[in-house]
Amino acid sequence: MATAAFSTSAGYRDLRRMVLGQEMVLFIAIVLLFVVVGLINPRFVAERNISSIFLGNAYIAVAAIGMSMVIISGNIDISVGSLIGVLATIAGTLALNGVPIIICWLAPLVIGIAITSGMGAIVAYLHIPSIVVTLGMLSILKGGLISVTGGAWLTNLPPEFFLSQTRLFGIPTPIYFMVGLTIAAAFWMRLSATGRAIYAVGGNVEAARLSGIDPAATVVKAFAIHGFFVGIAAVLFATQLSVIQSTVPPNLELTIITASVVGGVSILGGTGTVIGSTLAAVLIAAIASSMIFVNISPFWMRAVQGILILVTVLADLWRRQRQRMGT
Amino acid sequence: MKRLAIIIATTTALTGAALAADPWDGGDDLPTNPLACDDTPGTVAAKDYDGGQTTGAADKSGKEITLIDIPKLVGVGYFAATTEGMRQAAEELGNVKVTTDGPTEANIDDQITFIDNYVTQGVDGVLFAANDPVAIAPVLKKALGKGIHVVGYDANSDPDAREWFVNQAEFNGIAKSLIDQMAAEIGDEGKFAIVTSTFTTPNQARWIAEMQAYQESCHPKMEWLETVEAQEDNILSFNQANTLINKYGDDLDGIFGMTSVATPAAAEAVTQAGACGETAVVGLATPNAMRPYVESGCVKSVVLWSPVDLGYAAVYVMRAVVDGDLSPGDTEVEAGRLGKLQVVNGSEILLGSPFVFDKSNVNDFDF
Repeated sequence: MATAAFSTSAGYRDLRRMVLGQEMVLFIAIVLLFVVVGLINPRFVAERNISSIFLGNAYIAVAAIGMSMVIISGNIDISVGSLIGVLATIAGTLALNGVPIIICWLAPLVIGIAITSGMGAIVAYLHIPSIVVTLGMLSILKGGLISVTGGAWLTNLPPEFFLSQTRLFGIPTPIYFMVGLTIAAAFWMRLSATGRAIYAVGGNVEAARLSGIDPAATVVKAFAIHGFFVGIAAVLFATQLSVIQSTVPPNLELTIITASVVGGVSILGGTGTVIGSTLAAVLIAAIASSMIFVNISPFWMRAVQGILILVTVLADLWRRQRQRMGT
Repeated sequence: MKRLAIIIATTTALTGAALAADPWDGGDDLPTNPLACDDTPGTVAAKDYDGGQTTGAADKSGKEITLIDIPKLVGVGYFAATTEGMRQAAEELGNVKVTTDGPTEANIDDQITFIDNYVTQGVDGVLFAANDPVAIAPVLKKALGKGIHVVGYDANSDPDAREWFVNQAEFNGIAKSLIDQMAAEIGDEGKFAIVTSTFTTPNQARWIAEMQAYQESCHPKMEWLETVEAQEDNILSFNQANTLINKYGDDLDGIFGMTSVATPAAAEAVTQAGACGETAVVGLATPNAMRPYVESGCVKSVVLWSPVDLGYAAVYVMRAVVDGDLSPGDTEVEAGRLGKLQVVNGSEILLGSPFVFDKSNVNDFDF
């Protein structure tokens, strides 16, 4: 860490090195977990269990990609769990009404983008903090969903609706989405002008403005792309089981935000990567599964999630302090 | 490198703790009262009335009353069904107005806030299904103190915080039904695991404790492997059931689902793992949620009472309390189409024996 001293611009290279560090830490933690728990109970590392861990949590990783972008832009979206619940219900309702399956899958993307762009526009142009805007949206979506559906479950969905239950070359389809979207989003964040602008706006909004970036437009774009990922996550979520619960899964937003933050996305904006958030989603899911395999009381699961968040946020603050002192 | 060290240390510490820990059974520590292994009905122990009473309630005998119903949460099929039963009772009675409102997650703090708001606004009666029997007591006592009648259903509070509680089925009755169904499917030496909501949810903890007691006395060679928590979350329940299947493989003969969310999710996990017929799923759930699995034959029996009848009975009990037809010391109460219901356990009204849904009758129900 002594090399932090020669990063004069607190710049991109420095940033990249730091977050690469976080990804490496997560990767090593995952490998370590699989090795240690696998030694205690070899069934943990059986192909079928690894597949379950990925399959059951792919939608969280996909949603965390979008969430990471929003957090990197200096904002947050706490309505994400409710939004996934609403979009899943919409997809299921369309399918029940005989709408072509491809439209059932695409509608959540379009509606997701529309809703998050709307929230982004309110945040960016009316200068209302994102936590307030998305908290409002959370209540609207959650309350609205329950008043419209009355909590009735959606059943008897057409068999071809269940995207998440399909397999390609023996591997569950959601895993392709998780891996493919993470890689694509990572490249996009590194290489595209908008991706770079999201980092710039989240890091230092004045500096971004002076270098010709439109911060408001960038925030709206970050939210819009987030909506795209939320839409995909909702489809994966909706098609995993044969019934759709048509309610908001408890604490889903917390799980998604945890994945982003533990993945090294700074809660203060400006730094982080989507590879980190996906690795963190996998790590958290693997920890949950491993606790059953090694018979730890599940009471610990929340404590472990909390410890992970605290450790990463403290590490982030510590890193920033080092950076300030270095320059 | 510091972070790496921290994570390695955490992992090691957890592994160490793991090796020492016993699996958690999810039952509570209260005394159990298992039923006889055959069909001998349980005896009703004489017990004095132990409920609370209102102070200064207005006499609304025969007059229109306004009730508020605060279930554990709204937006799940189960409480949609109790609400439907309440609506039916109110319609039959003609002089009852009942509204359901409540938290969208099974959260005791939110539930208390809801009840408190309605108590402040003023209603004639509160119907509730408690998220926590102890934490909910003060706000219910506050209602009683303001002359508001309080009747619980589905999930009890401390007895002195409400006047009556409509018990959907005694815990030992449900436990017997579940274990007997499982034994019929996996045999008397089968091994089973349980997916529950949380270890502190009173109903589930009580059922599990009674299940263990009944299984030990009536099916002593069955083996309980583990209980896992899954909140009331669809996909988490699915993941937890999958983890059980992956952990125990062929050793797992059956899974109990303890909630109307966990049971279909467990059935889904068994279906997707291609383990139908090898791993039985028996549980508490609503027929709508279980219909696909019962129809496919993957699930043979679903144990429950009728939540519609439960909500219906709660409104009748409330009406009887207001009209003075149900007072401490009474042994039964008239509840419309359900006939006379028995008073048990001091201040509880028993709905009846549990109902088993199977392929032959699952389509007769819609909740």
